[in-house]
Amino acid sequence: MTTPLLKVDDLRVRFRTMGPLKALAKGVPDPYIDAVCGVSFDISEGETLGLVGESGSGKSTIARAIMGLVPAESGSVSFAGTDLTALSPRRFAPYRRDMAMMFQDPVGSLSPRLTVRSLITEPFRIHGTGDRDLDQEARRLLKMVGLNEDFARRFPHQLSGGQARRVGVARALALNPKLIIADEPTAGLDVSVQGEILNLFARLQDELGLAILIITHNLNVVRHITDRMAIMYLGRFVEQGPTEEVFYTPRHPYTEALLSANPEPDPDAVLDRIAISGEVPSLMNRPSGCEFHTRCLYAQGKCRTEAPVLTEAGESHSFTCHYPLTTAHTGRTKAAS
Amino acid sequence: MSAASDPLLDVRGLSLDFGSPRGRIHALRNVSLEVGAGRVVGIVGESGCGKSTLAYSIIGLLAANAEVVGGEIVFSGRNLIGLPDSEMRALRGREMSMIFQDPMTALNPVQTIGAQMLAIQYRDAVPTREKRRRAVEMLAKVGIPDPESRLKAYPHQFSGGMRQRICIAMALLVNPSLIIADEPTTALDATLEVQIVELLKDLQKDMGCSILFVSHHLGTVAELCDDVVVMYAGEVVERGSVRDIFHAPSHPYTEALLECDPGRIRQKTRELPTIPGDVPNLIDVPDGCIFRSRCPKAFDRCAREAPAPRRVSGGHEASCHLLDELAEAAP
Repeated sequence: MTTPLLKVDDLRVRFRTMGPLKALAKGVPDPYIDAVCGVSFDISEGETLGLVGESGSGKSTIARAIMGLVPAESGSVSFAGTDLTALSPRRFAPYRRDMAMMFQDPVGSLSPRLTVRSLITEPFRIHGTGDRDLDQEARRLLKMVGLNEDFARRFPHQLSGGQARRVGVARALALNPKLIIADEPTAGLDVSVQGEILNLFARLQDELGLAILIITHNLNVVRHITDRMAIMYLGRFVEQGPTEEVFYTPRHPYTEALLSANPEPDPDAVLDRIAISGEVPSLMNRPSGCEFHTRCLYAQGKCRTEAPVLTEAGESHSFTCHYPLTTAHTGRTKAAS
Repeated sequence: MSAASDPLLDVRGLSLDFGSPRGRIHALRNVSLEVGAGRVVGIVGESGCGKSTLAYSIIGLLAANAEVVGGEIVFSGRNLIGLPDSEMRALRGREMSMIFQDPMTALNPVQTIGAQMLAIQYRDAVPTREKRRRAVEMLAKVGIPDPESRLKAYPHQFSGGMRQRICIAMALLVNPSLIIADEPTTALDATLEVQIVELLKDLQKDMGCSILFVSHHLGTVAELCDDVVVMYAGEVVERGSVRDIFHAPSHPYTEALLECDPGRIRQKTRELPTIPGDVPNLIDVPDGCIFRSRCPKAFDRCAREAPAPRRVSGGHEASCHLLDELAEAAP
């Protein structure tokens, strides 16, 4: 392996919670929340990484920080060896040709007043390559994502969710990017349509050698199409590793809980559920020690006071937990599946 | 299966059209289903199959351009079709209540939870103190910590999962015999979804009401429901107990739907199964079987004749010609 295509190192993103004056008046010394706290990962060409976590865990913020849509507080995002966080907006622009983002809501992310043809050829106009035959480009892109040429004349409201998603994929592919960041690409789609979109990703990856970063909360999706996955909780990675390995031998209790929160489509499935209670704590008020201890089934005294450090569990599999699950634990999860 | 006595809710041959500038959309066609007392019945199907329309037609919250063109909805022995508005209003929020899909928008943002929970009991002639006591008790039951003081809070002060718990508490507050839940867990995270399903399960056992649970998530339906109704393009294609449907699906659509669920696929694959083709146009409903154009097993009879529901076993019914062929093959 050579240098990875995208390398994110100790990335931090902070958001202000109140204006400086209000903070002063209220005596709040640190009016920020850390949406992403020290996240590191990399993606190579032709590889798919899945980013999994509950709402508010910072998945989408990572995607936005990579694209330069929100500023990084510290850490670096390097694309093909260049540190993007150091670039001025003008110097950043060319890199957006190589990295394409698909936003969450398939219909909502398309302008309602543009036709599909304008939507999918818009990237050419924005990046100053609008002199080519746009009709031909539109046809090529529609064909690539498996839509009929007639769709070029339609408006977003005339598309179904799955079709709108395909248009989103076509837009992302327009400039031949090397990396696609897909934020919840199948949220809100039916299972049969979800399969079509994921198959489309797999096919395009095989054909074009794309690197894909998929953000999702659906573990079933991650399992089938990603090579590696990272589990996020409160802006940090709690576990990262090869997808199969994480599925079969999760080491972090949160991963285990997420895996078992995936109801089986079988009424007689053994419900040996590791239910976690409560909800994700607020970022404004992070728990002490291990941030998961408030919901963890195995939390002990040490977890409340001391934050666990990153532990390696074999090649490219790491986690942060004082009392990681052993095979004895995971035996239960396996028995259920 | 449900008792031999009349079911709590009996939808018989319901057909419903929506008027639109392009013509009448035949959104529900000859839909029948039963919900026995104390049963949890799931309606599954993909977007646009009419599952929400069916739920809304039962509770009488359809848009003005909807028109029932046939069939009846019998609830506790009364036909709800053509019932005067005043009587429907008296029924709604008393014998029947609803949990909506999006807990973020289902609550009034400018009223406190307490005010809304008292307002929903407006028909009960009991002192406000008593209503407040009930509200607190119900909030505690759905797992809201410190319910007494939380009554003064506004919806934006709660998280999504908590708001859905409040919606459930409100639906249960009137002690209804039927709760209609329209995708109550779709907007929630996986760990919360599990918590809400467990909560519904416990409360249903506790209070003995029936639940009509609309969902496209097969996993939750398998876990929560006793009976399942599978809908496709405005028709019921199969219905039966949850084990019948998930272990012995008899309609090709049900089979395809189950196959598509990535949770069912044990082996890692890059090629997920799909259902090729599109849902037919419901303005000009094609002749014959509605699933014909996408069915891998379709044959000439499917184009000529729409299949009637056929009994597979006990209370398990499916609308497919193949069942006839099978019956003929095995005398």
